[in-house]
Amino acid sequence: MDRRHFLKWISKGILSASGFWLCTSRDAWGKSAFDFALEGQNLIAAERFAEARDALKEAVRLDPESDWAHGLLGRAYYGLGQKTEAVAAFREAARINPADTYSRMMIEIITQKPIPRPKKSESPLTPLEKKARAEEESMFNRLTPEGGLAYRVKRVVIDPGHGGFDSGAVGPTGLKEKDVTLDLAQRLKRRISEKGKIKCFLTRTGDYYIPLSDRTVIANQYQADLFVSIHINANENRKAHGCEIYYCSETASSKEAARVAAFENAVLKYDEPFKKRPGYIDIEEILFNFERRLYWEESGKFAGVFQNRFQQALPFKSRGVHSANFFVLRSAKMPSILLETGFISNYDEEAELKKASIRDEIAVAVARGLLYGSG
Amino acid sequence: MDLDDLIFQGADYHYKGEFDKAIAKFQVALRIDPQNEYAHNQLGILYAKKERFDAAFREFHKVVQIDGHNTYALLWLGILYLKQGKLNLGFGKFQRIIEIDPSNADAYYFLGAIYNFRHNTAKAIEYLKKARDVDSDEPDTHYRLAQAFHNLDMTDNALLEYQRTLDLKPSHTKAISGIGWIYYNRGDRHSAIAEWKKTLKMNPKDRDAVFNLAKAYNELAWEAIKGNKPNEAISCWKKTLGVDPKNKAALYYLKKYKM
Repeated sequence: MDRRHFLKWISKGILSASGFWLCTSRDAWGKSAFDFALEGQNLIAAERFAEARDALKEAVRLDPESDWAHGLLGRAYYGLGQKTEAVAAFREAARINPADTYSRMMIEIITQKPIPRPKKSESPLTPLEKKARAEEESMFNRLTPEGGLAYRVKRVVIDPGHGGFDSGAVGPTGLKEKDVTLDLAQRLKRRISEKGKIKCFLTRTGDYYIPLSDRTVIANQYQADLFVSIHINANENRKAHGCEIYYCSETASSKEAARVAAFENAVLKYDEPFKKRPGYIDIEEILFNFERRLYWEESGKFAGVFQNRFQQALPFKSRGVHSANFFVLRSAKMPSILLETGFISNYDEEAELKKASIRDEIAVAVARGLLYGSG
Repeated sequence: MDLDDLIFQGADYHYKGEFDKAIAKFQVALRIDPQNEYAHNQLGILYAKKERFDAAFREFHKVVQIDGHNTYALLWLGILYLKQGKLNLGFGKFQRIIEIDPSNADAYYFLGAIYNFRHNTAKAIEYLKKARDVDSDEPDTHYRLAQAFHNLDMTDNALLEYQRTLDLKPSHTKAISGIGWIYYNRGDRHSAIAEWKKTLKMNPKDRDAVFNLAKAYNELAWEAIKGNKPNEAISCWKKTLGVDPKNKAALYYLKKYKM
């Protein structure tokens, strides 16, 4: 039976006349929670809300688990214009009986517009709360909050591609991709650290293998604002040359980008999408998708900035910016890009990549792009 | 049938999951009272639940035209803008709510979340703290606040907020993941591993927990190799494979160092 029918029924006196008791709790004078609730119900009908409130407060004191009494108390408060208290009473009724349509509806009606918030009581601080408060006081004295919605980069994770048994591509004269990427990453880290504006972390610092999954885990470990994966391209056609930059997006920018992403995504595991519940709006899913889209857009912006820097600073041809749905980039919880700094399979570019001066130029171009892109 | 009955029946159908019947009731109610904000808001939510987001948007927009102070409709307009990827428009709606109602926890939450997405953590903390202080019962408010503190290396505050997240929702695996990283980065790897194992007990396929553990075991293995303790390294790599059986690093190095 829903509340409304029940109220109509009870207002006709059917329950009390038949001696039906909802509640057996009684006060010292023998008046039960039911008696008070019924009295409150009648007082509400007579629009005597203050008296109804007092009777109903007594009813809920005697029987705190009566959704009926709490719901009536909500109506009494509402009649008195005490919306905060009314919502609290309706919430209690709905908590006890989630099928209570009337109380749920009243909460929604009242809270469509602002209502005063109930005051909270302060409780003593736990040891962790005390430590947190001290930390906050010391940190916030040093912080100047900046407004605006520009993306901010304070820490970056640089990922030298390959390593260990996975040498990556190998040039015609034996130059290994894994060695170039590590050296580039270390030079880049030094450059970025010199400026002191951005903290920099590497996914590997030596010649050992790290699985793809570990690389983005490291970016997540350090709460990075940007993930930059460094690679050197290769192609069976030894004439292929130049730099290109990839970032993650829902759709591939070209057939080639789609092919590359499909190849990488072949290792995809565990990546379970949100399980959709029909008839349920998942706000966190909306936020998750929104966040991911923002990161992809931001990745595209960084890719464009790096591309410009490469064009200006490097003796390599620009092959443009590409996007595709890469697992390794998608797993990062921040904007992420993949740089292909030249073709190791090309004789000329392999020779260039052996030079410390060219490696420095690449590091400078990426560092400048990073500082420029992060404002 | 009078308006109140239609509204009540519409709400009743809605709560029972009978969305089409609920929509029909609210549509009739709106023919009687086209200015009924609650009926429009209910229709908005019902359309959103049926993934008719354009229709939902129109209903909430009508409410705001009837009364610009209806913060419920403004909130949903903001959320629908975010769904469309319109950052500035969504942000504007949430800010408008704060102007109308400076104690609206939901609007503070979304503003804080947006600042978090822009990695403007100081502003994110400012708004998420307000959301928390107004309504401390939302686990995701504590979680996002923890993330913001974590991003600023304020790890005591991050720990506290992750813990509050778990007090409200013990199955919040992302909060467990965050706690694990704080321990890990403080050098307490065994506590970190213990945290992530808790997640695996809840969901053996939790991607964060699987990859975090694999990374931690691989790193411990490398340290053991550097310390000339190959048996310890082998044991670590075996643990990696226990959680991530196809981990290429563990498979390769286990084979190499076993020989």
